[in-house]
Formats: sequence, structure tokens, C-alpha cells
Amino acid sequence: MTLLLQALINGLMTGALIAVPAIGFSAIFAVLRYPNFAIASYATIGAFVAWWANAGLGLPVVPALAIAFAVTGVVGVVAEEISLKRLRDNGALIVAIASIALNLVLENIVRFIFGNDMKGYDLPLARDLRFGELRIGPQQLQSLALAAIIMAAMFLFLRYTRFGKAMRAVADNPDLARLKGIDPARIAIVTVFLGAGLSGVGGVLIGLDTSIDPLTGYRVLLSVFAAAVLGGLGSIPGAVVGALALGVAEELALIVTPATYRTAVGFVAILIMLTFRPRGILGERAA
Amino acid sequence: MTAALTIEGLKLDFYGVHVLRGVDFAVPVGSFTGLIGPNGAGKSTLFNAVSGLYRPKAGSVRLGSVETTSLPPEKLVAAGLVRSFQLARGFPKLSVFQHLMLYGAGQPGENLLAAMLRSAAARRREQELTERAFDIARRLKLDHVLDNPVTALSGGQKKLVEIGRALMAAPKILLLDEPMAGVNPSLTEQIADHLIALNRDGLTICLIEHDMALIKRLCAPVIVMAEGKTLTQGSFDEVASDIRVQEAYLGRRH
Repeated sequence: MTLLLQALINGLMTGALIAVPAIGFSAIFAVLRYPNFAIASYATIGAFVAWWANAGLGLPVVPALAIAFAVTGVVGVVAEEISLKRLRDNGALIVAIASIALNLVLENIVRFIFGNDMKGYDLPLARDLRFGELRIGPQQLQSLALAAIIMAAMFLFLRYTRFGKAMRAVADNPDLARLKGIDPARIAIVTVFLGAGLSGVGGVLIGLDTSIDPLTGYRVLLSVFAAAVLGGLGSIPGAVVGALALGVAEELALIVTPATYRTAVGFVAILIMLTFRPRGILGERAA
Repeated sequence: MTAALTIEGLKLDFYGVHVLRGVDFAVPVGSFTGLIGPNGAGKSTLFNAVSGLYRPKAGSVRLGSVETTSLPPEKLVAAGLVRSFQLARGFPKLSVFQHLMLYGAGQPGENLLAAMLRSAAARRREQELTERAFDIARRLKLDHVLDNPVTALSGGQKKLVEIGRALMAAPKILLLDEPMAGVNPSLTEQIADHLIALNRDGLTICLIEHDMALIKRLCAPVIVMAEGKTLTQGSFDEVASDIRVQEAYLGRRH
């Protein structure tokens, strides 16, 4: 019983961390209609920028997160404008493949600047909190709280601000939005900034838990993608639900299978979802 | 004859494919003009170019006597050129009423500051638009579904919302892209009656439609497009008896 409960808690924790880049991935998909796999490198870049701000400049976690968000957002927009944007007219598949190439390029730029070694954030060591048999790390709790705040801020932004509403309008019906004077090109830039920025923040949150290296983002890419597919590609609440479900599924799988099979859970989840409900848990139409 | 809309030498390419290869015609003020042609003739693309969604490569579009080529879509709507979409998808999360209000012309309340100040002018305009929305909904028999999300409507009702949305923008000329396609026969009759009534009230309409019986009943003049060009125009009987039109639809006889 304790084992199950601990797995459930761990799953929700990792799920919440995956949810942040998954929101970014889904937002970009909703507005631009292609899967941007370069978010893996955005997550890595975010993790390294925050590490530089934290371990290098001595900033606490929250300002380091903010810097990571801004820098990754700008990197995402620049990368989009100079590479992916030119390919958009050629169809989603071409852009998706190009984003994989972009991912490799950016990942290696990170290697060039920061080296290949693992790095750890400069954080106070703390003992796990114990609730009876259950253990929770204070760092994990902080990350969970940060993830929750970021998600809440994103929902409020989408629901109540002019830009958020314009983003949803373009995602739902770009032509009709244009008749209303919404410029999809501007919305696309804002969306990429947000999506890349959120991926960067996700990279930091994931890195805080363990350590970071140039493959930090790449290792969670499948989980992020699986979460977005599970929840329904293009649906922001779906990305959160998908990430939490996937996190729990991965942890539960660990009880019965060796840890090496953890990534398989993502593949299996995508497979099951695409077979039985291709539009995902909260998706409105088939992707 | 004065023209509500004049299209001259309009050309448009997609990646080297010449989709529009020189379209010329005029829609007379107050007319119910029909635009027909086989699939792939470029009718919907023409609407997209005229309404500012696509940028033409060459040629000109005039609204009345005003040159409007390459104006952004929202400026064209403000100038009175409003179009409907063949796929009447709308915004899935909005209700019928919200759709109508969203496309009401000139809302001061759209500006956040004005909305917060709730100025007298903004409130008055909103009141006017609300009345207008109810009026249009009654006219299109959508008044009993005003609060439903558009996703809950039947295909035919979605088409009516699409027309209602266009009417809210106070059009001078209405471009309708197959408003009756996929609609059951009795609703088709209703939509046709609505359109006839609107046209009698002075609204200029340009209609893309594949149902020739409808075109024959509703439209004069009828413009025929084929392979990205205007083929001919005239009354329905004139174009229907034109051998080139028959060839365009049925393929050339060898």
C-alpha cells in the first residue's frame, strides 16, 4: 500500500515537471500546427542558463528560473525565425523533421559553451520530509509548487489577456481570426516565445531534482511528447492531464518492471492512445 | 451600371502553380451575382484573395471606386466587404451569441481601457450590437440556440451562424462560399429565402454554389470560372447554353 502511495506521489511530482514543457509543446502545436521537437534543446538551454545564473552568479532559484524563461524564449524565437519559419509552408512533417535537426544543432552549441560534464545546481542540502512511511524531498515540493504556479499563470494568461484570447482564436480558426484583425504571424512569435520559455523552465525544474548535462532535455522529450499526445495535441489542459497520467504510469510501471523499461511506458501510452482515442483525453478533433 | 466590386486581371500563384490566371468581372450594386465553375476553378481562392487572406500576384480589386487590393482582411471587413467560409467551423468554444457579437462592427469595448471605464459610448454601442445580434438571430431562426456553443449546432445551423456573423459586420457586399453545401433541402430553401430577402433590402451578394437549380433561381448575372480564369458571364440561360461552359464542366469533346 505504502509502495503504491509513494509511487503515486512520485508520479504526480514528475508528471507536474513534465507538464510544464508539455504545455509549451502543445501551445506551439495548437497555433503553428506542427510538433516542435527542438523543445528538448530549449529545455537543456533553460537548464544551463539557470545553472549559470544560480551556480555562477549566485542567484536563488526563482530569479534563475525567470532568466532561463526569458533567454530560452528568445532563443526559441530566433531559431524559429531563421530556420523553421521558412519551412512552415511545406507542411508539418518537414518542419517536424527540421526541428529534430535544429535540436541537434542547439544541443551541440550547449556542449560547445558548457562542456559535456554533468553539473549540479547550488542548492542547500535538505533531508527528505517523512510522513509515516512516505518520503518527499523538500526540493521536489518546491519544484512542484513552482510548476503549479507557472501552470496557473499560463491558464490565466490564456483565459483573460488579449494575447491569450488571440492565441486561442488563431489556434481554433486562423482565417476567422484574421478577419477580426488578429495577425497570426505576431501570435506565432508570442507563442514560440512562451512555448520555448516554458520548455526552458521545465528543463530547470527537472534539473533541480538531479543534475544537468547536454542531454537533459532529450531524455524527457519522449515523455513530453507522450504527455501531449495523451492529453490531446494542442490542448493545454490536456497536456497537464496527460503529463500527470504519464508520470503516475511510469512510476507504477517501476514497481513491476526494471527501471530501464521506464521510457517504454511513454511509447506504450502513445500506442494505446492512438489506437483507441487518437484525439487524446481532452482533444477536440483528430490531430 | 455601377459596380459594388470590380476585379481586374487578378493573378495568384501557390508555389509556382498558377491558381488564378487572370480573373476579370464586376459585381453590380444590388445584384445577386452567382459564381460557378468546376471544382478547382479557383472560386474559393478568388474569395480568399479578394477578402485579403491571400495576397494576389497581380491585378486589382476595387470596392465601389476605392482600390482595396492587398488591404489587410480586417480593413476590408470595416470597408463593408464581408465573406463567409465554406467550412463553417467558427470558434468551437464560443456560443452563437458570442459569435455574432464578436463580429459586430466598431466595438469601443474591445479596447481594454474603454471596457474598464465602461464609457457611455461603449455601453450604448454594446446595447446596439446586442439588439442587432438578436435581430439577426430572429431573422435566421437562431434565436432559440443563441446560448449554445456552435459545436452543439447542426451543420445547417452552423451555416446560418456563418451568415449571421457576416451580417453583424454590416456588409455592403457579402461573399458567400457555398452556404448551402451539405445542408438538408428544407433548410436550403430557408437559407435561400433569407438571402433573397437580404438582397431585396439592398445587400449586394456574390454566391459560390454548385446547385445549378439554385443558381438559376437566385442569381443574375452568373459568372463562370474555369482553370483560374473567368470563362464567360451573363444570365443563367446564356451561360448554360454556352458550349465552352459545358466543355469546362464535362470535359472537352474530341
